[in-house]
Amino acid sequence: MMPMLLRLKGINREGKRFTLWLPLFLIYMILLPLIIITLPFVLLAALIAWPFGYGSLVLQAYLAIFKILGCLSGFKIDIESGDGNFFIKFV
Amino acid sequence: MSEERKKILDMLSEKKITAEEAEKLLSAIAKEEGNGAGTVKKEPKYLRVMVEPGPDSKNPDRVNIRVPLKLIRAGLKLAALIPKSAQSQVNDALHEKGIEMDFSQIKPEDLENIVTQLDDLTVDVEGKESVRIFCE
Repeated sequence: MMPMLLRLKGINREGKRFTLWLPLFLIYMILLPLIIITLPFVLLAALIAWPFGYGSLVLQAYLAIFKILGCLSGFKIDIESGDGNFFIKFV
Repeated sequence: MSEERKKILDMLSEKKITAEEAEKLLSAIAKEEGNGAGTVKKEPKYLRVMVEPGPDSKNPDRVNIRVPLKLIRAGLKLAALIPKSAQSQVNDALHEKGIEMDFSQIKPEDLENIVTQLDDLTVDVEGKESVRIFCE
């Protein structure tokens, strides 16, 4: 399942903190027209690359980007250092 | 046939218990066996990398990373899309870094096997920093 929220949290050396809940589903809604616009160009690139044997690779790479995006749910990075803390999580 | 089941059937044949009681006892045993079979090893979903300061470390940095195994699979599949003509360049770059590996020999099914075997991976490094890599 695609992540719907991105949680960002940070604390700097002075103790100032910020927390951000980024609604990714809104970003997807913005990205959707972009995907639709780029699709014909990707198909054209695949057609051009097909005689050289790279056509299917272009299409597979395009689809793989969405697969990776779909697998991001649960990805978490938590760093605590002397300079501050940083936390990122895809929910 | 288990020992308990045999005992219940013996008791039934000796008419020490009724058929209904025997049925209840047998279903209780079946339920217990079912619970026992339910304790199958859970399939891990994440690869965890934890770096913590060791006892002698002056560096207080801590890192905790959780990567979904699905993401690793997807990433490896993307790496498998590298055209054959570029694989020799990848091999050369790896060779320069001191990694002797033939990238062209890695097939998608091998990558799947690698991820599957990650389930049992546990790396513990104790030094200035304590590093733990495991699946959960």
